[in-house]
Parts: sequence; C-alpha cells; structure tokens
Amino acid sequence: MNKTAPSKPALVKKSAPQQSGSPARKVLRKVEPYVWIAPSVILMAVFILVPILSVFQMSMSDVSKAGKIKGFNGIDNFAKVIKSPAFGLVLKNTLVWTIAVVVLSTVLGFVLALVLNNNFKGRKIARAIVVFPWATTLVIQASAWNFIINKDYGTLNTLLLRLRLISSPVNWTPTPDAYFAWEIACGIFVTVPFVTFCVLSGLQSIDTTYYEAATVDGANYWQKLFKITLPLVKSSLTVSTVLNIIYVFNSFPIIWTMTKGDPANYTDTLVTYLYKLAFYNGKQGEAAAVSVIGFIILLICASAYMIYTLRKGDDA
Amino acid sequence: MPANAVKKPVSIQKVILRVLLYFVVLDVCIITLYPYFAMFCTALKGRGEIFTADGTILPITALWSNFIDIWSRAPMAKYMLNSILVAGGSTLIAMLCGIPAAYALARMRFKGQTAFLGFVIVSQMFAPVVLLIGIYKVMMSMGLTDSIWGLIFINAAFNQAFTIWLLRGTFMGISAEMEQAATIDGCNRLQSMMRVLLPVAAPGIVTTLIFIFINAWNEYTVALCLISTDELKPLTVGINVFNGYNMIEWQYLFAASIFAIIPVVILFMGIEKNLVSGLASGGVKG
Repeated sequence: MNKTAPSKPALVKKSAPQQSGSPARKVLRKVEPYVWIAPSVILMAVFILVPILSVFQMSMSDVSKAGKIKGFNGIDNFAKVIKSPAFGLVLKNTLVWTIAVVVLSTVLGFVLALVLNNNFKGRKIARAIVVFPWATTLVIQASAWNFIINKDYGTLNTLLLRLRLISSPVNWTPTPDAYFAWEIACGIFVTVPFVTFCVLSGLQSIDTTYYEAATVDGANYWQKLFKITLPLVKSSLTVSTVLNIIYVFNSFPIIWTMTKGDPANYTDTLVTYLYKLAFYNGKQGEAAAVSVIGFIILLICASAYMIYTLRKGDDA
Repeated sequence: MPANAVKKPVSIQKVILRVLLYFVVLDVCIITLYPYFAMFCTALKGRGEIFTADGTILPITALWSNFIDIWSRAPMAKYMLNSILVAGGSTLIAMLCGIPAAYALARMRFKGQTAFLGFVIVSQMFAPVVLLIGIYKVMMSMGLTDSIWGLIFINAAFNQAFTIWLLRGTFMGISAEMEQAATIDGCNRLQSMMRVLLPVAAPGIVTTLIFIFINAWNEYTVALCLISTDELKPLTVGINVFNGYNMIEWQYLFAASIFAIIPVVILFMGIEKNLVSGLASGGVKG
C-alpha cells in the first residue's frame, strides 16, 4: 500500500550534510520546520485550541447569562446536567442516532460500492448521481425530506397515491419516534455516498490477479468476498467508519432543520441539546459541560483511531 | 464479448445477475435523485398547488418566475456573494497555512512532528458545533461575531486537518529527487517547492482546494450561531427566510436551494475520484 514512504527518511538524511555550513546556518536549519508550520499552528491554536480550553474552563465555572465567568464551581455544571431528566433521553438518542446511521450507512455503502464496482453501461453516470447527497448541504437535504414526508401535502403521499400504492394519505410521522426514524433515514441517505466512495477506492486498488487465481482454485463468490475483498478494503472501511462516527455524532443541521429536537427533547441529540442550553436558555456553563461529556465519548473513539493510524505508520 | 458468447452459451445465471444489477443501480439512482426531483418540481409550483392534500407530481404550469422572484423577495444576491466570500476566503487561508505545514511534515524531520500530526488528527474530533460556546467567546474578544471574517477564519481552521492530511499524502507520493536537484542548482527550499513540487502536485492541490471550498460553502451551524445581520448571512442560513415560523414558502425555499446546490455538485463531480483516493490512502499513510 505504501510504496513511497520507506525511501523518504533516506532522502532527508542525504540532503542534510550537504547544506550544513556555519553554526548559524545549523540553527536556521533546526528552526526552519517550525517556521513552515507556524501559520497553520497559529490558525488552529487561535480558532480551535482556545475555544477548546474555553469550553473546558466554562464547564467548571459559574457562568452568567451574558457569558461572563463568575468563578470556579467544580463539577456543579456536570451534576446539574446529569441530574436533569432530559439528559438520559438525549444521551440515548445520541447513541441510537450515531450507531444506527453509521452501521446502516456502512453496510449499505459497502454493498453499493460492490455493485458500482462492476462493469456496466452507464456506470459513470451512476457514480456521478450517487455523489449528489454527499455534495449537498445538510440543511437543504433535511428541508427536502421534511417536505417530502409532510402528512398534509408531502410529495411522498402524492407519489404513492398516484402510483395507487396507498389509497389515502399516510401520516408518516405520528410519533416523535417516527420523526426520529426519518431523521436517521435522512442521515443514512447523506452518509452512504462517503462510505461508497471510500470502499470503491479500496476496491479499485485490488489486483485482479487475486480473483483470477481464486477462480482457478474453485472459490465461489462469497469465498472471494470474505477472503479477498473484505480484508483488502478493511483499511478504507476503518477510515470511513471512524470519520463517520465523529461526523454523525456531531451532526447538527439535520435534526435542527427537521424537528429542532422537539417535542420536549424527544429527538434531541447532545449537540442540539447543548445548542439550546447555550443560546436559548442562557445556561452556558451547563452547555459547556455537555460539550465536555461529548468530547469524552468521542475521545474514546478518537484514541482508537489514533492507535490504528499510528500502528499503520509503524508498519510502513 | 459477442465472440465469446457464440462459443459459450450465455448462462441463465449471468443474465439474471445482469438484470438484477441494472435493477439495483436504477433503484439507487431514482431514490438518490428523488429529493432533487421533488425540490425542482416544487420550485416551479404556485403556493396553492403545493398546499393541497391531493397534490400533483409535476407542476400544472411551470412557474419559472419563482426563480426570479426570490432575488427580489430576499437579499439572495447578498447571500450568494457572502457564500462566495466565505468559501473563497477560507479556502485561500486554509491553503496558505496548510501547504507549508504539509510540506514540512512530508519533507522535513523535526521535534514535535508526531505531536503536531497527532493534534491535526485529534482536531477533527472537535466539530465546531461542540465548541460553539468557546468559538463565540473567542469571536467576541476579537470583535468577529456577526462578521464574514469570523466565518472565514473558523472555516479555514476547521479545514486545516483535511488540508494538511490530503496534501501531506500528495507530497509524500511525489519523489523528493527533483527538488533536491533544484536545490543543488541553487534554489532555496521555498523556490524548489514553488517551482518543482507544487506544479507536480497540482491535481492533489486542486482536489483539496475544491473540497475545502465545498465544505465552507455548505457550512451551516457556525454561520447560524455567529451571524445575526441578514445582509451578512451565507446562502445556507439565508435561504431560511422562506422557512418562517408561521408560513413556509416551499417554492421559494427550494428555488433558492437549487442555486445553492448546483455550483457545489458540479465542483464535486470533478474531484470525486481524486478526493476519495486521497481520503482513503494518502492521508492515513504513516
């Protein structure tokens, strides 16, 4: 997989002696890399690191409605958040939302990639079409689905009535749970293309001689799928799954556009819940605590990701 | 193929599989395009035609005027301009900061390299929405709430990880020999990067550039939170003027949405192939 990396350290070493001259130059060479990364470091420090620290500080402080920090209050905010009756529901929703969207998208995306990897007429067009949901902003996707499933004038009812598949309009969202299920469906709809294209790129790098050899040896389709395809696209699948866990967990626009987490937190996830706490209810300290709880959950996933990435680096 | 078919009788199984394949592909395409189809048809309808239980699929008469009306009913031109400024500005800043950093990571060895790469990877975990309270505070202290500049910087910063990730992979895939030859000929690092590496890496750079542009164009949450002046809103937030609390003007909402979707979809189709190989292999390589 990694053809270029091994040669790189050698090249760097080769170039080093030829440029080292006076001591001043040596110092310059030592400092140089930091100059190159400085703009990026500053940008991320100011706009990512400072907000992170600020959120952590607020999560342990008494914060006024205007956002002024009035003093350290330990774990009060966390205690308040965890004790509030909505929190358990919100946490459960977040887990259901993340797991359902990621797992189903991964399965569907993988199957779709296998389908699109075949040679057929119109393959290019099909691939271009599948890209659409990935490229469209989530707010618009969510608005469209909101309109489609509307029980009074939605186009899904119109379509099914015209096709004579139903005889009277169906209420697609009779309960909050049903609405939440539609939100999950919308989440899956926009997430599948990413998985598909990650897997497709993995599939296309597989040497076809593997399959030919396996066919000669009498392997059937399923054996080839599980013994050749799956192990070889495993790394693409891991990347897409981990990134999706992060994106989906933090996804705000779909739920915000479709239900705003209503009624009464029934469709809230952590991110919509904290948005409301911070910007509607003025409880910034508690919102910060929800953020920190979110980090901790994601940190577990991210460290798994880090370990995977670094281990892969060692293999190269 | 035809020659083969004559020699070997086409197995029934193969025909069935082919038919099944086309059936699945066709279904997927129809389902994928359905929301866009619904949006487009609705954008061409009149209000009365939309709000009926016994609705139509295609508009009875296509009201193309909806596509014109939105420009006068809301400051659409302003929204469009703001989206272009935010997406263009953040792409520029993300590239100006990201290219040197990716270059240093790909071509140099320095203390703290792993730590920096680690932070880049972990920073992806923090979506702006979780940090909104913190971001809001930082922006307040810099006077950048309700400002296009604020959005530009936030988008640039949160796209750094991707920029560095994709570009580092691209740079590492290119042999350093040419640059070394240029150095021997008297170029300094900056010159050798600009004249030798960047032209070769152009496809990867364009892919990264477009990807950041799309991300920033589609960004919604931060803009929703930071921008309160209507005239400063980007499209994603601005079009919701048609999505009021009391009344939703679906035909205008979708007509405006189509203007927001089209540029991005076109750009995306251009880079889809390169982007995916970059995501799946280039960046994750150790």
